[in-house]
Amino acid sequence: MKASTLRWLIVIALIVLWEALPRAGLIPELFLPALSSTLAAGWNEAGEYGHALGVTLYEVAISMAFACGGGILLGAVVGSLPRPRVLIMPMVSSLYAVPLVILYPVFTVWLGIGSESKIAFASIYGFLPTMLATAAGIQTIDPQLLLAARSMGATMSQRLVRVILPAAIPTVLSGLRVGGALVIVGVVVSEMLISSAGIGYLISRYRTILDSPHVFAGVLLVLAMAIAFNAVIRMLERKAAIWQTGTRGGQDTVEEIAPGSLQPAT
Amino acid sequence: MGGNAMQPLANVTPFKRAGAIQVQNVGQVFRTSGAEVVALTDVSLDIKPGRFVVLVGPSGCGKSTLLMMLAGLRQQTSGTILINGAPVPAPDPNRVGVVFQEASLFPWLTAEENVEFPLALRGVAKAERRAKAEAMLQLVGLEGFGKRHPHELSGGMKQRVSIARGLVQDPPVLLMDEPFAALDEQTRMTMGDELLRIWAATGKTVVFVTHSLTEAVYLADEVAVMSARPGRIVDLLQVQLPRPRTYEMLSGDAFGSLRDRIWRHIRKSA
Repeated sequence: MKASTLRWLIVIALIVLWEALPRAGLIPELFLPALSSTLAAGWNEAGEYGHALGVTLYEVAISMAFACGGGILLGAVVGSLPRPRVLIMPMVSSLYAVPLVILYPVFTVWLGIGSESKIAFASIYGFLPTMLATAAGIQTIDPQLLLAARSMGATMSQRLVRVILPAAIPTVLSGLRVGGALVIVGVVVSEMLISSAGIGYLISRYRTILDSPHVFAGVLLVLAMAIAFNAVIRMLERKAAIWQTGTRGGQDTVEEIAPGSLQPAT
Repeated sequence: MGGNAMQPLANVTPFKRAGAIQVQNVGQVFRTSGAEVVALTDVSLDIKPGRFVVLVGPSGCGKSTLLMMLAGLRQQTSGTILINGAPVPAPDPNRVGVVFQEASLFPWLTAEENVEFPLALRGVAKAERRAKAEAMLQLVGLEGFGKRHPHELSGGMKQRVSIARGLVQDPPVLLMDEPFAALDEQTRMTMGDELLRIWAATGKTVVFVTHSLTEAVYLADEVAVMSARPGRIVDLLQVQLPRPRTYEMLSGDAFGSLRDRIWRHIRKSA
């Protein structure tokens, strides 16, 4: 059986179990409400969930722009210049190990419990991995490529735009994958902690009144958001992978493309 | 120049005159954290237009360094380097094309985009770029492979693209830094013959760095043998074998004695 078919079967099995187990009474409704009652709960309060989703998506979008834009920009600077690298990298790396969520209460004091504090927190949360990955990506560019570009008379800015940036794309994307996921986590978690709107807030509020179907309706929405984000990154990665896959060991790929037809007329 | 693409490729191909290279008493000193390393000392070499000159020597003898200086990618600490009578203070792709080891094609560009790259840097119009790239790919025997990415090409084909890229601006001098070092032996032999064919067709002055003694004698008009660090030229052999070179020559006495002579120099300094 193909791996993709198997994967789909597992997903379908999980969905079926989600419906069947609570219905059969094997799992108490409080722990896990059946999928149908979860969907019904979400549907009945569609307006409320829609509004919450809007708030959360807005916060995610702004944070994503800050985290990814800033992370790529600063990562590019830090990755290409040795002096800032020596200065900043050790700090950033140790900051990365700190559970940044401890800063969130401080942000609410500074910025209030509205969207601003969530955006600030999620931006910083997603910023670090994006920046680290970009810096690493730029540092690991094959120096031969830069030398070749220089031999063809490429100026500093031409080397940046035509060599360094395209060469760094695969690593930057893997940084975005982690950074973007952390932005979603950051927004939802901060909504759950202290707030008055958003999906995280709804989940948290329904949990305090033990309304499991409504809690799980919120969980489903967050799940959908994460899956959608992942799909976008996957699409971008596939575009970049056209060449990324073959940068090393090119000979191996020749066979699978078109055996025999590759002998040039000599 | 939209009409360019319509013209027969032959109109693009007539090549400029080959270039002369003069290297006079060149030295190179590296400074690494206080210590001074003399990489090259008192290197002189006079290369006439259209010659095929091979630099050989033990690892670390500075033959690649010399090539980098000819390319304008590094400046000598003493002495003079002249290409067509003028020094090379910076890379000048109009005078010098460079072919590196395998890894230097841009993996995100197709073969033809790679060949066009030096022209794109200069803002040459798309149609003209494409026409020139096509002519170069045809010259190196890669017609019809322009749309492939480097990972879809074999090692030998990648080096052909690299040669096409080095020639696309029609420089009078082509420098090659161990271009076939990463290839298997059969491909290497074929590529040697191909390079000689391209050289004969274009009439360029070629300076070729290699580790392989057989390759050196097989390809060269002249072989410059360098000593271990500090690198000097210890011998300059004239290879009088007739052209075109053939596989049978490899087992001949003339070939063998030239190779032995190079080997004795290298063994002495290793």
